[in-house]
Amino acid sequence: MMTGAPQARSAGIRYVFPVLAGKLARFATRLRGGGSAFPGYLTNKLSPSLLPTLADQFRYGVVFVLGSNGKTTTTHMISEVLRAHGLTVFTNPTGANLPQGVTSALLADATLTGRIRADVAVLEVDEGYAADLADQLSPAVILSLNVQVDQLYRFYETERVADMMLDASTRASGHVVVNRDDPYLSKIDTTSMRGEVSFFGVSPELVAASAHGLANAADTRSGNTGTLARDAFAEVLSAQGRSVAVRVGDAEAEITLPARGLHYAADAAAALTVAARVLGSDFSASKAATGFARMAPAYGRGEVIPLRRDPAGEQVEFVMFKNAPSLQMNLDALDGSPERALMAIDEGTPDVSWLYDVDFDALRRVDVVTGEKASQLALSLEHAGVEIGVVEPDMEKAVALMRALDPAPSGRQTWFVNYELMMIGRKLLGHGDQEVARR
Amino acid sequence: MSESVRIVQLYPVELGITGDRGNVRALQVRLERGGVAVEVQRVGTGDAIPADTDILIFGNGPLSAMRGVIDDLRDRAAQLESFVDEGGSLLAVGGSAELLSERVEPLEGDPVAGLGIFPFTVQRTRERKVGYVIVDTPDGRVIGFEDHASRWSLGNGALPYGTVSAGRGSFEHAGSRGEIVRRGQAFATNVQGPVLPLNPRWTDAILTSVTTRRGIEWAPGAAHAPLDEHADGARAAIERLVHGKDISSIGL
Ligand SMILES: [Zn+2]
Repeated sequence: MMTGAPQARSAGIRYVFPVLAGKLARFATRLRGGGSAFPGYLTNKLSPSLLPTLADQFRYGVVFVLGSNGKTTTTHMISEVLRAHGLTVFTNPTGANLPQGVTSALLADATLTGRIRADVAVLEVDEGYAADLADQLSPAVILSLNVQVDQLYRFYETERVADMMLDASTRASGHVVVNRDDPYLSKIDTTSMRGEVSFFGVSPELVAASAHGLANAADTRSGNTGTLARDAFAEVLSAQGRSVAVRVGDAEAEITLPARGLHYAADAAAALTVAARVLGSDFSASKAATGFARMAPAYGRGEVIPLRRDPAGEQVEFVMFKNAPSLQMNLDALDGSPERALMAIDEGTPDVSWLYDVDFDALRRVDVVTGEKASQLALSLEHAGVEIGVVEPDMEKAVALMRALDPAPSGRQTWFVNYELMMIGRKLLGHGDQEVARR
Repeated sequence: MSESVRIVQLYPVELGITGDRGNVRALQVRLERGGVAVEVQRVGTGDAIPADTDILIFGNGPLSAMRGVIDDLRDRAAQLESFVDEGGSLLAVGGSAELLSERVEPLEGDPVAGLGIFPFTVQRTRERKVGYVIVDTPDGRVIGFEDHASRWSLGNGALPYGTVSAGRGSFEHAGSRGEIVRRGQAFATNVQGPVLPLNPRWTDAILTSVTTRRGIEWAPGAAHAPLDEHADGARAAIERLVHGKDISSIGL
């Protein structure tokens, strides 16, 4: 068990004012409701050296988690595995993955003299800001999960996202961890990295057995749309529902995932690689398994909530998606077509062209299609030959319709939702808490 | 001659990242629900386009993918030119529409010479145009989503198909904005969404042309009602949004 953070080299009295100002600003914005980037901005303005000083204090350094899909889940996995090894972990709240959000979160944990009491920081970071933030926080490890066709309205070209991750990776001082099964990431130029490069992956047999592989973006620029063959440091060997076996170096870890799906298994291999690199010879596969066993599902990712506020009654399993690959991987992980299904999407997802890239074969019927974009969603389902019960754009009415259905023999409904409607759906079922703390 | 309609999707891996398969599926499903058999073929670099192809669908992709397929595409220039010239149906969206123009001028790097199937040139711009778009056309209001950083300059003889009534559009012509260029039964556009599922009237206009040309009997009927109902719902929701508030500002 490791306790106590080392004394910061340069932390001290000169940070009292900027830290205090930031904390007060944070308190004020909380009173107004919701988070804000302002406190971090303010503190950075008042003391640009505070952030590097805070980052410098983590004995095991700072870990960045990048990727089109799975950042939140994987950040959580790494944190729990490190905690199971006795480390005190600092991590940023879900979604607070822009620089000011990270600063704001660090600020909340810092003492007035600019000290942080944690052994390691595990940070989910937006790809677009990863390089800039790396210049400030000097991460020891940078993990890149995957490059998927996502947020084209924001990044325009998928290869740009790949370059953002690869460029940020050059800044890792200790280790670079990338996905062997990702066409762009597998082609990383290992010679241009300061850190040692480790690959993680899923066994070729498992990928071949998956209806749509791993759904990573094709490489459209190098002349080879597929991956470059790489040896994996950690490899998923088998996956049965939530039970997964992963080879990590010479050890084998038997773990339980927070939710079904080969993408979650790949995330677990990534998390195990990072933990093994951070801990070195202190890494233990059985402690890692303990960490996974402690993980509660993150909001909306495999989370189960009572449909009618009765814990013993019918349950709703939330399956969150943000783009075609995540929806496809979730559909591929289904154990047969759900007996009762709701599917929801709203303007939080501006461009839904990608719905037509999804194979909906795993779904026989969707009982209620909802959200502002309910009709666009229904249109794509109708084209895919999926039976539709009702189209009801209003989520509140949709929930009432789901509650009015005959109980599912399995005692479980499945709700496929984008992030915004996941939060609203949880609230309508009586779980109105905000997703802030990761633990 | 077979009684089925052959739809070819070109470069689905490289130029197919904005749900472009949806355009293929809209044509296919509407034909099949009207009792017409359909054969869909995906054609990549090096594969032949069958001589009896009725409809060619091209999709969207990044500049690197465009550069990756352009040599292969140039080898098909004569075939594509005569296909369009003889009244074949073609839809090209985004990057592929640019490759079928005369020239693409990127922000960085050398210009890319296109096939010149359509008489316009493309200038890539720093400014992005993102959001819903509505184009008033002879086949009804075409509704969809635009997401591009480009400006098209129409050459002599270029024929705009409709005018933009909401959203940004790709070009200016005769005092109005446009988003679709037409030549015969071939269309180049920046409307995604994908555009055909959302616009049954336009889709049916294309299919009427194809089936008439082939002497196949086809008409939309009761089996198309659910498709049209959801399309109507989606279109109404988009129009409410477009006219309700300014939707051109997506948080970037
Ligand atoms: Zn936790």
